[in-house]
Amino acid sequence: MYISAASSISFQNSFRNKGFSDQLLEMGDEQTIIYPDYSPFIPAMDRRRMSEGTKMSVACAIDCLSQINLQQPDAVIVGTALGSSNHTKKFLDKIASAEGGLISPTSFIQSTHNTFAGQISLLLKNHGYNTTHTQNSLSFEQALIDSTLCIGEGAKNVLVGGVDENEPILYHLPVRLKKSDIKVGYGASFFVLSLDKKDDFSAKLLAVESYSGVKNVNVFADQVLQQNEIKSDEIDLVLYSSCEQNIEVELSSFFPKSSLIDFQKYCGVYLSNSSFALHLAFDFLQQEKGVKTVLVYNNLISENLGLLLLKRV
Amino acid sequence: MKIFVSGIGVISAIGLNSKKNYEALRSGDSGIKYSSKHHLMLGEVPLSNEELEEMNGVKGRDFSRTTLLALNAVKEAWGANKISSEIRTGFISSTSVGGLDKMEEYYFQYLKESNSDYHSKMIFDNGTTSEEIANELGISGFVSTLSTACSSGPNAILYGARLLELNRLDRVVVGGCDPLALFDLKGFSSLNIYDKNICKPFDQSRKGLNIGEAAGYLVLENEKSLVETGNKVLCVLSGWNNSTDAYHQTASSPNGKGATLAMNRALEKAMLDISDIDYINAHGTGTENNDLSEAMAFKNVFGNDVPSFSSTKGYTGHTLAAAGAIEAVYCVLSLLHQAKFSNLNFTEKMKDIDFCPQLIHEEGVSVNHVLSNSFGFGGNCSSLIFSKN
Repeated sequence: MYISAASSISFQNSFRNKGFSDQLLEMGDEQTIIYPDYSPFIPAMDRRRMSEGTKMSVACAIDCLSQINLQQPDAVIVGTALGSSNHTKKFLDKIASAEGGLISPTSFIQSTHNTFAGQISLLLKNHGYNTTHTQNSLSFEQALIDSTLCIGEGAKNVLVGGVDENEPILYHLPVRLKKSDIKVGYGASFFVLSLDKKDDFSAKLLAVESYSGVKNVNVFADQVLQQNEIKSDEIDLVLYSSCEQNIEVELSSFFPKSSLIDFQKYCGVYLSNSSFALHLAFDFLQQEKGVKTVLVYNNLISENLGLLLLKRV
Repeated sequence: MKIFVSGIGVISAIGLNSKKNYEALRSGDSGIKYSSKHHLMLGEVPLSNEELEEMNGVKGRDFSRTTLLALNAVKEAWGANKISSEIRTGFISSTSVGGLDKMEEYYFQYLKESNSDYHSKMIFDNGTTSEEIANELGISGFVSTLSTACSSGPNAILYGARLLELNRLDRVVVGGCDPLALFDLKGFSSLNIYDKNICKPFDQSRKGLNIGEAAGYLVLENEKSLVETGNKVLCVLSGWNNSTDAYHQTASSPNGKGATLAMNRALEKAMLDISDIDYINAHGTGTENNDLSEAMAFKNVFGNDVPSFSSTKGYTGHTLAAAGAIEAVYCVLSLLHQAKFSNLNFTEKMKDIDFCPQLIHEEGVSVNHVLSNSFGFGGNCSSLIFSKN
């Protein structure tokens, strides 16, 4: 299974900017998300009623398809931990202030977690498989696993993304994760996963794993490498997120020859941010600078581990 | 490859387990009652959170009602199963409420008192509820939560089936749960689609839906797992499909395109002919839009030979993400009892539709293959087919 297109809206200059991994800026206090001009991607009428999460999802989805001139994907799959959190909060505020009066249904209609995936299909007029995974910090990994099933069942191209919205309630997330030195982020990253290799360059997704509620996360990376007959010193780059203080020491003992990057410094903490890391990995692989094999190591929540293994082919 | 169903569990307004649910379906007892608190007809589970905590041995854990209701149904389905290193076991749930019932509680308190302590509690994600449920069962590793509004349940079930079919898991607990949340009570009220009485699915004079709360779960196993567990096979999950209507965010298309695709593709997957289907448990919410669109889809798929069909929403209310999951359990009960369930409150055929739903409860008739439909916001349409083994 190959990654044939990628598109992200993030705190980096990532949208339609191949090679953005060369220009990474650590998130500072003033840094904001970089939104594109949505007008080429979403009709004005639709743009007005869409939440930021929907706009980001639709723009990235359409950008992905246009990169490879694909009219229709065989499936649309989204991973989002909190879904349409802006509309959810808006509707709660309306309930609180209505005091028995009438409430407009607009926010309720847009509040379901599958709004992003649903709106993509609606705009594309796509009648295929459409689903949304909401598994906490492993939402995107689960969406990717579902995509691998689709490819296994004969799908040629699957549109898959990770997205979470800017929601002020989440500014307390790092406190809950006991990692107060990291900034909260948000964004969307979408991909086309394909059965066949499209280009001279392609990144092969060798493994996608998702482990929830596990006591000892350390054993799994080794297992996955063994299953794929890859030695730990063949991994050129590890993109990681973790809430453990000594994670760098642990990872460097296991991957002594790999470069280590804490990817959350560039996209911020959000529960589907391993999708940003996958795009970052894809961008590194695309540049011929010696990075051939990358592991995305998502340990944002201590008992949950996501692993994505990809290789330049 | 066969996907075996070896366990079922359900909790709803008509009963706290599958036996009680079947008895109510058999005797035509609706669980929808007037709630003086909300001034609405609702399908409530008649147990408080405290009572559910007590029953499940999780007192004082501040679990969402999603987790509490699900634990009941999951434990019934799981039964005497044991965790084994030989059987790769997963838990796939679905919900639209997740921890939102807790968030509401804390958020409204916060608006009143502006107490910052509430902040960390206001993260209302779905996945945490599934992690809590899996943890209570002792399942760790593969956990996912599907959330596609009112078709969430079958999407969790078919994801589990596909994980077995493509050899990622050997055994998986699948299903869905939604408690009543003020958010949904007000949400459907804002859409103005409540029936003030018990809903009348597929009736010309239908006025709308009633919402309810429930949880339904099934245990799915492959052949290898069955050899290890020695579990008795209840039936097989023979077909499934999810397709998109791509017509409107909330309304179903007048020609039932998405529903037609889902049913046709599920039949194809099960390698069955339309004449093989003995009973359909319809989505049948009782709204003007859904029931007509679904009936059009029946015509598209089955032509002049629409099989016996009924909606059980008149018993349980529309239980949102749990609906397709509890109705999957009802399909298994239909096969076990060779039964077709009655559609409550039907008096008059819909205009332009020349067939009517199953009006009486039948038992001991021949039922070999049953189909279940669920549709959700976002044009999300799912069908499942269960068959006698």
